[in-house]
Amino acid sequence: MRFDTILIGGGLASLVCGIKLQRAGQKCLIVSAGQNALHFSSGTFGLLGRLPDGTAVSNPLEELGKLPGTHPYSKIGPVKVSEYAAEVKDFFNSCGVRLHGVAAQEGSEVSPNGYRLTPMGVLQPSWLAMEDVTLLPSKDELKWRKALIVNFYGFLDFNASFIAEGLWKIGVESRVETVKIEDVETLRKNPADMRSVGVARLMAKEKNWKDFGGMVRGLLSGEDLVIVPAVFGFGDQVIVEWLREMIPADVMFIGTMPPSVPGIRTQILLKKAFESAGGTFLPGDTALDPLFSGTSVAGIHTANLGSIVLSADRYVLASGNLFGKGLEATPNRVYEPVFGLDTDFPADRSKWCDPDFFALQEFAGFGVLCDDSFKAFKDGRTVDNLYVAGAEVGGCNPLYEGSGAGVSIMTAMSVADSILHGN
Amino acid sequence: MEEFDVIIIGGGITGAGTARDCALRGLSVLLIERDDIATGASGRNHGLLHSGARYAVTDQESATECIKENMILKKVARHCVDDTSGLFITLPEDDLGYQETFVKACQKAGIKAEIIDPKEALRLEPSVNPGIIGAVRVPDGCVDPFRLCAANMVDAKIHGARILVHSEVTGLVINGDTVQGVKVLDRTTGEEKEYRGSVVVNAGGIWGHNIAGMAGVNISMFPAKGALLIFAHRVNGMVINRCRKPANADILVPGDTVCIIGTTSTRVPYEECDTVRVTPEEVDLLLTEGAKLAPILGHTRILRGYAGVRPLVSADNDPTGRNISRGIVCLDHESRDGVKGFITITGGKLMTYRLMAQMATDLVCEKLNVKASCSTARDPLPGSEGGGIEKIAKKIWSVPTMAQKASVGRFGSRAAGLDFEEDKGGVVCECEEVTVSEVDAAIENLEVHDMLDLRRRTRVGMGTCQGELCACRAAGRLAKSYGCASKAREDLKAFMRERWKGMYPVAWGETLRESVYTQWIYSEVLGLNERP
Repeated sequence: MRFDTILIGGGLASLVCGIKLQRAGQKCLIVSAGQNALHFSSGTFGLLGRLPDGTAVSNPLEELGKLPGTHPYSKIGPVKVSEYAAEVKDFFNSCGVRLHGVAAQEGSEVSPNGYRLTPMGVLQPSWLAMEDVTLLPSKDELKWRKALIVNFYGFLDFNASFIAEGLWKIGVESRVETVKIEDVETLRKNPADMRSVGVARLMAKEKNWKDFGGMVRGLLSGEDLVIVPAVFGFGDQVIVEWLREMIPADVMFIGTMPPSVPGIRTQILLKKAFESAGGTFLPGDTALDPLFSGTSVAGIHTANLGSIVLSADRYVLASGNLFGKGLEATPNRVYEPVFGLDTDFPADRSKWCDPDFFALQEFAGFGVLCDDSFKAFKDGRTVDNLYVAGAEVGGCNPLYEGSGAGVSIMTAMSVADSILHGN
Repeated sequence: MEEFDVIIIGGGITGAGTARDCALRGLSVLLIERDDIATGASGRNHGLLHSGARYAVTDQESATECIKENMILKKVARHCVDDTSGLFITLPEDDLGYQETFVKACQKAGIKAEIIDPKEALRLEPSVNPGIIGAVRVPDGCVDPFRLCAANMVDAKIHGARILVHSEVTGLVINGDTVQGVKVLDRTTGEEKEYRGSVVVNAGGIWGHNIAGMAGVNISMFPAKGALLIFAHRVNGMVINRCRKPANADILVPGDTVCIIGTTSTRVPYEECDTVRVTPEEVDLLLTEGAKLAPILGHTRILRGYAGVRPLVSADNDPTGRNISRGIVCLDHESRDGVKGFITITGGKLMTYRLMAQMATDLVCEKLNVKASCSTARDPLPGSEGGGIEKIAKKIWSVPTMAQKASVGRFGSRAAGLDFEEDKGGVVCECEEVTVSEVDAAIENLEVHDMLDLRRRTRVGMGTCQGELCACRAAGRLAKSYGCASKAREDLKAFMRERWKGMYPVAWGETLRESVYTQWIYSEVLGLNERP
């Protein structure tokens, strides 16, 4: 089977790149092994939350110049990153994913960082948020005075007390209530089902979310803010809107412990956008046994398709970092398992990790070596038609910087540009 | 000032056992632990219920003690014990001639040691190295040291003992030639207090060296660090040992859902006892040697590495500590050093804690002129009283079977007292099947002051995910109990730091992969990596 471009990985980078290419008239295939980082999303996209030296960033685009030359943003260049950043909201909107940020400063189209209240009650800088997740413009004061926090009875992955305490620190008093929805109660028969996705599946039923909305309305007594777990709306954002209409106060949805309902929804919508543009999405399959012709990839196999060769003019590897199995680690080395590409990691194993869990961890920045247009290196030479995008790109520590989604989107857009405009 | 018959310093298994024995004999007891129970060597070992076979050739005295205590613990602490039986295997590179010496020595010590056909050994224990040329079956087993320690504490409390954890002894109250009490710093509140005791028992393990120093007494200890690795699966059903003179990494012990390979033995300076860490060299050695016992270990995910310090008492200049007797040392400092009212109980092993406690308590009673006799070889620990597991499990039918069994496994007959109301049916830790009611019961009844204490009481966060998800749920329950979320959040961070301490030495493969995920959740999703 022949395509213009084959993308390996089913996450944010691969989908963004695939949609752009497919919409520009290419014939694309995405090979996806399964879950990806979107399933564990915080409900927000970070562009740059802090610099490698630890300095907090309030306006990411103004700080791009301070990043080292090896950083993916530096490879793309600050001008291009700003262009792409300005395009992000419209792009996602065209895929049915409504993102929002805090108000941009005068003369700029791009939002600075806002703050998201985490499930631990911490205010975390972030750039753009999915529909249901609220971004606050300031971490010092809120426009609300009293909050009502509502959780499902027995749902342990949303801890109201942490959120209440986080709000109290910034001057918002809150009251915690729990509600029982009959259907959700049945989940507790098998406690492992009592997770965000289990609850979300049941809350998609009209009776259930209406009952929930009604109960919240009944509990309100003078609060101007209602906080509920983000377990509404798997396939689209409609239930989120309906609940907002039903409840006579501002409604803030706060992410639960994983899996992430807003993240899964975003993945579903992006996959739909890719497929409705004519792209082929191969789920539950793994790329392996590539064929090389000189310094080019000539084709790949997959675990499910046996001897069938999938070939394309260009290939994009976006299968994630160690977590996504885009990289694998043994006691002695870190390698890229599909193509055997060159990787970036310290030879001394004791340098991989910092003994303090919350310090900067080197391993979170391991990646594949690539040139300035994200063409991958193998045995010291670039592979002519193989690009790398997303978390698999080395040169930065997205976890530390709070740039995970940003790096995925920016490298995906850059690779799509290179492929379309002949680089 | 509060007065007690006996003050025990140290909340390891020796201190806990002594507190229980003293309390059972009617003494008023205060136990003081600077950290949490079982945080020293008591919680940092194999969890091996020795048959004594390991010491039979080199140390008959220890071997005899072990087999006696082995048989006692299988009765009085049965909810803490898994009677797996054990193998001593001979590999092609080992001397098969040692087997005969070994079996004879075992028999002399009263240990049932039976030579079996290597094929039979493979049938009994399919994970064992198929290349073995010899196998001996012995009554080894495994024991959960946290559970054992907690059960002793619970019984001591039932019989009136007072237990202070997170309280550090900063000095002794000495009048002339007599120790009359202790000065204690409450590490939680910062408050300092004095307590009087007619007898003070030093059960501080390797830290007992410093306690003795406070009375001007010198005990020449030999701090021997031992490193171990925990694997994410229980690959073996039986304990597997090498049939040779005790050496590094030659015991593989199954325990709950995991198995543990160990140990090494290296002398460390006293100053390092609080901060011992597992080195990459130790990890590599444990892995290489471990794979000789059970080759599958070479491909099994490692959960974590950890190290403890054995409180050996020095006899000669043996640089490794392997040749020092693991025997019990009970010192009456009045006859030894002219210091009255002060006893040190040290040396020994987890296995012989009950006997150590008995010896210390006998000496206390002698000093206090109390005639009560020891009953700990007979009286079951709380949780090990009558009633089979099935019978107890039936009382708590409303939780799922796995969780039910897990709870009974941990709490023994006490599981019947847990609140398994339907409203509390949630599971906090899915890897280890720890329920909300079990967590709440531990918080209420088992001296839980933080998340780390909770882990040691319930196994929350000890499974394959190493707590990345359940820790947050548990923190939620703690926040509820504290009525304060910030302490619970700080606890959660401390918990993750502590978990990481064991993971980073073995961070590759699945463990590193899981770490990236955990990092993602804690920094990106939860925002806990903020800088002050």
